[in-house]
Amino acid sequence: MYQYDEIDRALVDARTAQFREQVNARLSGALSEDEFKPLRLMNGVYLQLHAYMLRVAIPYGVLSSEQLRSLAFIARTYDRGYGHLTTRQNIQYNWPRLVDIPDILDHLAGVGMHAIQTSGNTIRNTTTDPFAGAAADEVADPRPWCELVRQWSTTHPEFTWLPRKFKIAITGSPEDRAAIGVHDIGLRLIRSKAGEIGFEIHVGGGQGRTPVIAKKIRDYLPQRELLAYLTAILRVYNLKGRRDNLYKARIKILVNAMGADCFARAVEAEYEAVRGRALTVPVEEIGRVSAFFAAPPEGRSQTTPPAAPGYDRWHGVNVKPHRVAGRTIVVIPLKAPGKTPGDIDADQMDLVADLADRYGLSEIRVSKEQNLVLPHVDESALESLYTLLDGARLATPNADKASDIVSCPGLDYCNLANARSIPVAQQISRNLHESGLDAVAGKVTIKISGCINACGHHHVANIGLLGVDKAGQEVYQLTLGGVADGDAAIGKILGPGLNAGAAVKAVIACVRVFAEKAAPGEAFTQTLARLGAAPFKEAVYGV
Amino acid sequence: MASNGVIPIKKADCLELTGDISPVEAEQAVRGVPRVNIRFSGFKDGRGFSLAALLRRAGYKGELRAVGPLLHDQVDDLKRMGFDTVEIERRDSPARIRNTGGMNSIYQPDPGAPLNRASAMHQRAVTIRKARAETLAAQTEGASPEEILRVATAEYGGRIAMLSSFGAEAALGLALVADIAPDTPILFMDTGQHFPQTLTYRNRLMEHLGLTNLRTLKPAADQVEAEDPGGDLYLTDGLACCDLRKVRPLAAALDSYDALITGRKRYHGGERGQLAAIGFDGERVKINPFAFLSREAVAERYKALDLPRHPLIENGYASIGCWPCTAPAMEPGSREGRWTGQDRKECGIFDPARARRAKRAGAIRLIQTEPRRLGAERIA
Repeated sequence: MYQYDEIDRALVDARTAQFREQVNARLSGALSEDEFKPLRLMNGVYLQLHAYMLRVAIPYGVLSSEQLRSLAFIARTYDRGYGHLTTRQNIQYNWPRLVDIPDILDHLAGVGMHAIQTSGNTIRNTTTDPFAGAAADEVADPRPWCELVRQWSTTHPEFTWLPRKFKIAITGSPEDRAAIGVHDIGLRLIRSKAGEIGFEIHVGGGQGRTPVIAKKIRDYLPQRELLAYLTAILRVYNLKGRRDNLYKARIKILVNAMGADCFARAVEAEYEAVRGRALTVPVEEIGRVSAFFAAPPEGRSQTTPPAAPGYDRWHGVNVKPHRVAGRTIVVIPLKAPGKTPGDIDADQMDLVADLADRYGLSEIRVSKEQNLVLPHVDESALESLYTLLDGARLATPNADKASDIVSCPGLDYCNLANARSIPVAQQISRNLHESGLDAVAGKVTIKISGCINACGHHHVANIGLLGVDKAGQEVYQLTLGGVADGDAAIGKILGPGLNAGAAVKAVIACVRVFAEKAAPGEAFTQTLARLGAAPFKEAVYGV
Repeated sequence: MASNGVIPIKKADCLELTGDISPVEAEQAVRGVPRVNIRFSGFKDGRGFSLAALLRRAGYKGELRAVGPLLHDQVDDLKRMGFDTVEIERRDSPARIRNTGGMNSIYQPDPGAPLNRASAMHQRAVTIRKARAETLAAQTEGASPEEILRVATAEYGGRIAMLSSFGAEAALGLALVADIAPDTPILFMDTGQHFPQTLTYRNRLMEHLGLTNLRTLKPAADQVEAEDPGGDLYLTDGLACCDLRKVRPLAAALDSYDALITGRKRYHGGERGQLAAIGFDGERVKINPFAFLSREAVAERYKALDLPRHPLIENGYASIGCWPCTAPAMEPGSREGRWTGQDRKECGIFDPARARRAKRAGAIRLIQTEPRRLGAERIA
């Protein structure tokens, strides 16, 4: 993985030192909260319902074991012993004291991490496939490009005061696991007819209160011109995006207002003016950054068939094929029955770091499904790994299953939320496991957002729940048919809103319909397309 | 009355724009105006950042001033976008707090600033490029032109070009490129002051060798109009003429290339006596396939290839550039006929420091400003 050089270190150190000064000014009263706000937001510090929240960037979801141990240390020393992994592959600490945050950032800087631009109307952490560099179906590794975009977008002088926040996702595989259709910019690495690697470019996707699927505005861009093209898109957006209404400020609104063709023409005109110059990535720099992401060496195959109880089921669900012989990808779902999706305690972090050192080339990923992934596990170590994970409640066999629920923090933490999404997720999870439904149902995604901002990605869930406030009551809207990856789709509302208890039952009922009626190997959306919404409606509303 | 984001100000020497204006309108509006204020409606109004960069790119050279309730933390970024001055209209501004400030390394090329600092990715690339060139130079010490060019095209394919003046010795290099990598771009600087024989010879040679990728570089018309309207700058300032007609057009075109093939040889003498086959000029790799050839070996190659020769050689010219600064020479193959009477033997395109100065000459301009408004703080 990428290692900071002196330039990277100097930049993060300087920023950390500046923020310490700003925090001191706030603590001494030299800065008011209003004045401090834009400064803290640039550094990932939010003010939540009960306390400050610190969101730490995990660049494109890639962590070393050393970095994960530092995250554990921070959780233990400065927080309440745990952290929360987000749908954007970051980690949030919910209880840090402001006075400690500069020290936390120093610890992070020591292991090549930061919290820069995890908030504010800036270019946020670029996200990617959690299996990048390991996936069997990969055209090209997206991580070097994620790193180049990370550097280009960090402390960008022009794009730090955008109309609204800005999210970029890159996938290197035909099977999109990065949800590029619902990002401000979605990039797909492809191979041209001449065999050259470049990008297919999608713009204007997003969730929130106006869910939109991104439009493709360019079939092929030579890879060296990526930063020039991104600059052109951002420049058009920065100048023309709406700033009068917070809810109309994302690029998706601009692309829709201009029309994708007209928007694309404006971008192309600007691109012509900036291409082939200082933004063209030098061949040497591509080589330098790519060298950090070399393919792992071959592993060893299993010699004896594993006999541990529960191993086969775990292997069938949580282990994925790797591109290199003797290696596998292991998903570590943070979704044990009744747990808060995405929460991980410090001991678990340390354990996963140790396991990564022992069996997986010291590398860990965070997925947008709020799970951890060991991307390069030696096949011969799978049984030992399973046993150790199982002992720490980290071997629940539910990757991509119904109980692999995605949820935002909701009203338990967030001051935007209308509803408590976590308890709802916990009840659904318990119910799925106790009823045995989780084991029999095929792949289905359940995602829960506690408010219209859709951090829980409910729009693109097969079964989505959105918590809204209706006359002081927490009410949940149920949507069906959303898809995050590949051919992204927005789910449709099934019927009237439900209270929390009814919403839990409704989700279970939908999973049951799917489990009972799906043809062998059928995806949820296929079953839904074949049968229509009627059987689901009947199961939920009894009509 | 404000319309389309242009607020006419009564002073004749200043124009105020807001972020509502389109870049095209802004570029027209600022022409000939010595000072432009870009007004920010709030510190979160990021439009002016882009607008400034676009005005600089369009060639606006007057003073750009950012005006509005901005933050001190934004000053460094505003300067990188091309502003000369920042006028912070916030009485309650939290002074001295700097957020982005003053970092030596930058991840992005300055979008609108005249400094033209190298971004981190370029700094790193140059370090690697230099080391690699040194390795290749050691490998190719004493090698034949063919071998040198093969090594170079294998390493730098897709980002290599040949610069040719189509002068007295050009044909040999062009023939070598045609032989080994015929699709290599051939860059020719049409200074507008070439001997007509050179242009005829250029066309003839391209056709003869089967080279098709000719790229002609011309000085910018508006710059010629501004700096040398009479076409006689060479009489008063030969250096400035070379800057206008050679150094700047080449600097602009070279962005696409990391390596250049030259026809330089050690026997040219002067600075070229120590020439390596593969060298590094601080930014780009220079490939000198003929570095080690003697004058006699060059003559033999010409003879063997039976190439057309520059028509002026018969008239006693040894090294041929623009007509005003080229004279016949006593010694064949030498540069003694170039810039006679001037204290130099190079036009400056091989001098990276000069190329950089020339590149930013179009954008840099220091302006004296004076405090103009009470209650507003100005940072220049």
